[in-house]
Amino acid sequence: MELVQLLISGISQGCVYGLIALGFVLIYKATEMVNFAQGDLMMLGAFIAFGFINVLGWPFLWGFLATLAVMGVVGATLERLLLRPMIGEPPFAVLMLTIGLGFILRAVAGAIWGYEDKTLSTPYGGGVARWGEISVGYENIAVVLGTLVLCVLVFVFFRKTRVGIAMQAASQNQLAAYYVGIPVKWIFALVWAMSAMISATAGILVAPLSLINPIMGFVGIKAFAAAIVGGFGSLPGAFLAGLMIGIVEQFAKHGLPSGLEGFSETTAYVILLIMLFIRPEGIFATMQRKKV
Amino acid sequence: MRFVLKTRYAQDVDFFKHNGQRFWYGLLGLFVFVAPFLLDDFYTGELSLVFIYAIAGIGLMLLVGYTGLVSLGHAAFLAIGAYAHAYFMTEGAPFMVSLIGATAVCVVIGAIVGIPSLRMTGIYLAVATLAFAQIVEKVLAHWESVTGGHRGMAVPEPEIFSWSLGTPRAFYFLVLLVLIGALFCALNLLRSPTGRAMIAIRDSEISAQAMGINLARVKTTSFAVSAGFTGLAGGLLAHKIGYLAPDAFTILISIQLLLMVVVGGLGSMHGVIYGAVFIGLLPQGIAFLRESLPAGIGQIPGLEPGIFGLILVLFLVYEPLGIFGRWIKIRLFFSEFPLYRKSTYKRQKSYLRTERVH
Amino acid sequence: MLAADNVSISFGGVHAVRDVSFEVAAGQVYSIIGPNGAGKTTLFNLVSRLYDVDAGSITFDGEPITRVPPHQVAERGIARTFQNTELFEHETVLKNLLIGHHVHRQTALWEELLFLPKVREQDLVFRQQVEDVIDLLDLQSYRDQIIGNLPYGVRKMVEIARALCLGPRLILLDEPSSGLNPEETEDLSFWIEDINEELDITVVMVEHDMNLVNQVSDRVLVLADGVVIAVGTPNEIQGHPDVLRAYLGD
Repeated sequence: MELVQLLISGISQGCVYGLIALGFVLIYKATEMVNFAQGDLMMLGAFIAFGFINVLGWPFLWGFLATLAVMGVVGATLERLLLRPMIGEPPFAVLMLTIGLGFILRAVAGAIWGYEDKTLSTPYGGGVARWGEISVGYENIAVVLGTLVLCVLVFVFFRKTRVGIAMQAASQNQLAAYYVGIPVKWIFALVWAMSAMISATAGILVAPLSLINPIMGFVGIKAFAAAIVGGFGSLPGAFLAGLMIGIVEQFAKHGLPSGLEGFSETTAYVILLIMLFIRPEGIFATMQRKKV
Repeated sequence: MRFVLKTRYAQDVDFFKHNGQRFWYGLLGLFVFVAPFLLDDFYTGELSLVFIYAIAGIGLMLLVGYTGLVSLGHAAFLAIGAYAHAYFMTEGAPFMVSLIGATAVCVVIGAIVGIPSLRMTGIYLAVATLAFAQIVEKVLAHWESVTGGHRGMAVPEPEIFSWSLGTPRAFYFLVLLVLIGALFCALNLLRSPTGRAMIAIRDSEISAQAMGINLARVKTTSFAVSAGFTGLAGGLLAHKIGYLAPDAFTILISIQLLLMVVVGGLGSMHGVIYGAVFIGLLPQGIAFLRESLPAGIGQIPGLEPGIFGLILVLFLVYEPLGIFGRWIKIRLFFSEFPLYRKSTYKRQKSYLRTERVH
Repeated sequence: MLAADNVSISFGGVHAVRDVSFEVAAGQVYSIIGPNGAGKTTLFNLVSRLYDVDAGSITFDGEPITRVPPHQVAERGIARTFQNTELFEHETVLKNLLIGHHVHRQTALWEELLFLPKVREQDLVFRQQVEDVIDLLDLQSYRDQIIGNLPYGVRKMVEIARALCLGPRLILLDEPSSGLNPEETEDLSFWIEDINEELDITVVMVEHDMNLVNQVSDRVLVLADGVVIAVGTPNEIQGHPDVLRAYLGD
């Protein structure tokens, strides 16, 4: 029974990693930029929802939708102000830029909301569902369900809609996409808006699990590891890797001898290093060598 | 514009290209040697910290700015250097032996960490080093017999032949000499075949291979040397902080080191020094700022990292060449006045084409 | 000197090079021509070990080089240039040429860190040799310029100069005349002859400009769709019916 219990908490934790990783991959796939501030966008989303729902007292659904809207605008604005001047700069510069952005977002959130833990009121917080001896928190169920829905939406978006296909084209060759009439700049802003919205959703889903504070975005680093383990260009890869890391982490926490439980925190990195050694291109390989 | 008439090939090899340079660097040397007699203990200490940052920065610059390999985990080498040095000294090793030993430990670990760099580049490598640093952090927190775990460990006073280097002024000169030595070695490396091979790898791996450069060897060398310099800085830093705890070497420190080389100016040793001065003095600047701002804004907690981030972003967007790049432009502006053209340093932007298959 | 024996490689089902054999004798200027996508550059990449052959073998001076690491190809005396130039963009011409000397270094890392007199002397020797190459290819006025600021034609020449700094016995030139104006192309033909005759370096080149090919080549190999169509002297190739068909279609 304990195993099942561990598996369930592992899956819900893994879904969180998977969700943030999804945001990473989305931006990477469409713009070839690596957004290290993804976790901090999640944090910001959670705080904004907290503002609408707890401070202003809006109903959950309206607060959620309003958060999505605000985060969409935030994402597009960030793209317009900071990332667009970086088009054509080396990937390393973009990486550093988003790291800097993360610092700024944390400071802003800290300045507005302070550093104490906050609890977001959600309809799915606190309750417990039981099947025999297994008990599962509603918030865990919400995370898993929310993740599944989002994954399907993103998948359909990329495969079936014109905008989604245009995004893929823009990522493969910016100049060519521009020539065939795809509004590349507009697409990039849209990608950032979407990615920020996904992160915000992740933030709202995990809020009951991990309390809201300005440093909750650090979980994004683990999610980043998941994205790489999954092959970085692959949406299902990122999600599966997130899931795997979440599950292994839970088992490590209970399986490691006492005194060493702290090492379960490094699960994501150990898996990442193993992966990079045996299969540097990730589970779902998408890279090829430069041509001369 | 100064025109240097070269009459010997050795002039291309020498550090100083003309007498003007010799004069200004001489003046700078004179200044840093008299500085501790002009400043009080606190500022002497701050200046030593700047020098320690600079030594670590030399290591990171060789790796990032010259070999083109990004490390998000250099705090780990700083930590390993600091802990190894403190441990060796606690076990009774003399100061110099211990410092050299700590550096050697970092060189070896750096070479091992460098091995994956043969198979991956760019973002993959950056994340691998990040993962490495996270694991090191946990090991330091749990290896209690050596590191004291979360309780931390005290660092013995530095002494050479029972001559204490504990006073701020003596420590300042120690750090200064190490910095000069480190700069000397790094600049030597850069005017030698191995240093040029690093630059070749940064600019084009394929072409470097075609020139007979062994990528595996040069990349691991670069990692090892880089880790060595940073570990050396870590050993000195141990004395500066006096008491080591695992949370002194988080990913934020790695990022701060990267910030230093980026803000200073990638691909130049001048940049390291500018960056170190910048990073070292920024907390003072912010403290000063807090006092002069109205209480409501000045007292916000977490202002410091926010300002770090803001500066990093502004530099990347407006001055990707860093402080050193800005200085070059200003110098050109005055030497060519009024003929300076803004587009001199403008680079053609390239559009990205993915290297992904699907 | 350089020989390929039934070499093949395919990329995801596309046979880029199929059963290609050729032999370059020492002292020759050997040209490889063919329509776009014929596999000419792929052949070069196979020789310089950027790709692994699927089948067949390549030998240099009778020794197989099909499995040696890429940097050893250069150490054995094969230098090359690239179609769209692959120079070290952020460095000066001088430094690019010095990097070309890498295979001749004899100093250890610790000696370089301390810059012992040995390292200094070695660098002065390299510097002197760089100057010889600069004189040969008339690059004096660009010596201290950053590659990124140079016009394309000059970059092409710098790349050849860099390859010469390696002190090779065989040089692979990938479309040396592409992007050059007619005047520069004419200069190029003299330089190729100089490199071949005065420096005694065997030249293998991929080239589209038939005037240049006819002027300098001893042997010409025609490649189409990864397969050898004809080999012969420039005169033999010119009237060869299969070659015309490959270029013009039936």
